[in-house]
Amino acid sequence: MTDQIREQVSALLDGELPRDEIGLLVRRMERDAELRRAFGSYSLIGETLRAPGGRTAGPSFAARVSAAIDAPASATVIATPQVASHASWKRPAFATAIAASIALIAVVLVQPFAGPAMAPAVVEKWAMAGAASPTPAQSQRLAGYLVAHSQFSSPIGRRNVWSGVLAADPSLMRVSYDIPDAP
Amino acid sequence: MNAASPLKRASGWVAAACLAVVAQTANASPDEARQWLERMTESLATRNYVGLFTHSTATQSESMRIVHRVENGNSLERLVSLDGSGREIIRTREEVHAYLPDRRVVLVEPRSDQGSLLEALPSPGARLDAFYDLAVSKGNKLLGRDVRIVDIRPRDRYRYGYRLWLDEKTAMPLRSVVGDGAGRAVEQISFTSLEMLKRIADKEIEPSVDATGYHWIRTGRKLVPPPQAQSNGWRPLRMPPGFRLVASRLQVLPGSPVPAQHLIFSDGMAAISIFIEPGSATGPSPPESSGVGSANAYSTSIQGHVVTAVGEVPAATVREVATSVVPVTGQTAAPAPATER
Repeated sequence: MTDQIREQVSALLDGELPRDEIGLLVRRMERDAELRRAFGSYSLIGETLRAPGGRTAGPSFAARVSAAIDAPASATVIATPQVASHASWKRPAFATAIAASIALIAVVLVQPFAGPAMAPAVVEKWAMAGAASPTPAQSQRLAGYLVAHSQFSSPIGRRNVWSGVLAADPSLMRVSYDIPDAP
Repeated sequence: MNAASPLKRASGWVAAACLAVVAQTANASPDEARQWLERMTESLATRNYVGLFTHSTATQSESMRIVHRVENGNSLERLVSLDGSGREIIRTREEVHAYLPDRRVVLVEPRSDQGSLLEALPSPGARLDAFYDLAVSKGNKLLGRDVRIVDIRPRDRYRYGYRLWLDEKTAMPLRSVVGDGAGRAVEQISFTSLEMLKRIADKEIEPSVDATGYHWIRTGRKLVPPPQAQSNGWRPLRMPPGFRLVASRLQVLPGSPVPAQHLIFSDGMAAISIFIEPGSATGPSPPESSGVGSANAYSTSIQGHVVTAVGEVPAATVREVATSVVPVTGQTAAPAPATER
């Protein structure tokens, strides 16, 4: 992926990409898996940066990350799978912005989960998911139920349900087994 | 993306933070909130639009592209994941197609609305007030547009709440968060671009998946008038207050010689489906409790049938509904409202 494409993705997320370029970029995204992953990561970074009450690293940490990006690969001290591919970026302003984002991600990576927690029931179910992922046949069957059901959902509900069905990895579906209170 | 990524935990945290912070500024104005919901419903069904959004749950975040075109009163739509699965859902004039390239399968459902989308949508009517607290307030700009925030907070633990950021000019939702009764986020959709267009080309609503050689699994159906459906077959004895039977149909599911019954209940915001299928003839058993995002499902076995409740409601709600389903003949009392424990 070239720097130009990266900048286009960044501009798109900032709402600054010219309208005639949006269609071209989206078409490219549909063909390019790396670009799609990058788009997902960047948009999440943006979401995190915009979050009310979001935890951010101090400017000095961002500066150190920026320096690390500019430094030769052998001197890079911050190396996570998420940031390794960013090391060759050249444009200073863009690199600084990404450095700030990386700094924030790094904080998220090392901080305990201190924000408002997910509902206990949800957390509990996710904990169970690791031990009991649905089989492909079960996830397909669940998708069938959801698609059939979604036709009667509200517009917001249907959009949520469809997005869930499109989840990249069906094994991410929550699943648990227990003894029902059947009559 | 990896399910265990802390980034995904952050997305849930972000959504929760949004919900908690903005909740403090909402003003009570249920009538105005309902009007905004009605405007949103109409806008979503009657406008041509193309958008990119991020869909986030507790552990994952996905980028999606949506295309919506209105054609002779018909609502055509294409939703595609941009994050690698290649899955797509397309609503054509007569059917809904879910392309699952990872399974080499296309799930095909006949459209339930027989053409007019607005007729099939649960409308946010006056009775919404009985089960949700509604409020509307002014929000900060999103995508450069002025925004109204509509809060829909559940009054009991049987349903989720919603926070919607609507474009003031068009009432199109630019962001939505689904939260539980305690205000904790379960699911978020946030648009990064949204364009309203006069025309949308045919190719925009065609699948990019080459489904040659895929297994097309078609669902047959037969609509049954609600009164008949109520007096025959199966029904839940327990249902959260406000959920009413809005549709019923017999579906021929793949692998089953006997039609399954599908009952649909709605409270005006959320819907609960109940599927009743004969025994093991319908293939592999579903997991007992499952879900994606804010949608949950619960399956159980009752008198030789697999009973599954599905809905955009908490897991405990679908479980309570599914386990209360019984076979009935002739006249039967209405489902008992669920009670607080």
